[in-house]
Amino acid sequence: MDRLILHNLPPMHWAVAGIGIAGIVLALLLLASRRLAVSSGFEDICSLVLQAPYFRRPTVVSGRSWRLPLLAGLVIGGFLSAMLGGGWEPTWALGMFDRAIGLGPAGKLAWMFGAGLLIGFGTRLAGGCTAGHGIFGLANLERPSAISTLSFVIAGIVTTQIVYRLLFPLAGL
Amino acid sequence: MRIAYVVLGAVFGFILSRSGAADYDFIQGMFLFSNLQLYGIMGVAVIVGAPGIWLIKRRGRTLDGQPLSIEVKSRHRGNVAGGVLFGVGWSLAGMCPGPILVNIGEGKVYAIAALAGALVGAGAFGTLYERLQGFFGLPPLKVDGRSFFVSRRISTID
Repeated sequence: MDRLILHNLPPMHWAVAGIGIAGIVLALLLLASRRLAVSSGFEDICSLVLQAPYFRRPTVVSGRSWRLPLLAGLVIGGFLSAMLGGGWEPTWALGMFDRAIGLGPAGKLAWMFGAGLLIGFGTRLAGGCTAGHGIFGLANLERPSAISTLSFVIAGIVTTQIVYRLLFPLAGL
Repeated sequence: MRIAYVVLGAVFGFILSRSGAADYDFIQGMFLFSNLQLYGIMGVAVIVGAPGIWLIKRRGRTLDGQPLSIEVKSRHRGNVAGGVLFGVGWSLAGMCPGPILVNIGEGKVYAIAALAGALVGAGAFGTLYERLQGFFGLPPLKVDGRSFFVSRRISTID
């Protein structure tokens, strides 16, 4: 069975994880009428320093007060997971990337920054990410979310197939 | 009340961290069809979430009795174009937005660069919004950019 990069831990069962995530979605909606969102939080952070009209929309200004704490919680959740799973320590480990592509720290930072640009720009253009479109939007039967989710899953499949089957083929794949 | 969002975020982050949703190899395995774990997670989250959302909408109120209103996302050409750009980034980074933050918490140093890129990307989108609007058919900013779904079932349920 595949294990996590994090301390080589065995993964939680997928059904348990799925039910847990559904629980978070429903708690946000039932307790406070919020739709699960993460990439909207990126524009909340931008709105703290950028003055363009886009960042002064009421939905950004009013959403900051709950989305920023949620984002902080995500960082804390990752920290607790590492702490409880074998100890927290800074790491550059990147699994099959290290075996097939093998860039050093500077290369990884550049690679991740470039990928981050696509993630930040793309999610805002699409109007959501895996959370807002892929989970909440699909579960709420919203057509734009179905279109976006199909788009990013297909683009992800094509990209990974190109990277790991054509450009940097790994033995055993 | 803010602490409740921090707690919900932390539980969500812990699940993403331990389930493989924030793991580079699991993301690549999903896109290579060699590890179906993440399809299972997303599938269960949607299948369990859907009837739950339907029931809460039918109820029409939050737990403390406030009327339910769900922000609705608009439909435009950016759904596909933005989705494709995001999908390429998701594959390359092995992280979508939530897991970027989870990986930073786990101590994965390179995730900080992914967050920096994502913030610059989101900042660029917002700054260029008016210029992108026509081409992608994005909603006008003056009306808040989004419409709201307000449950009309409150009276019929009560």
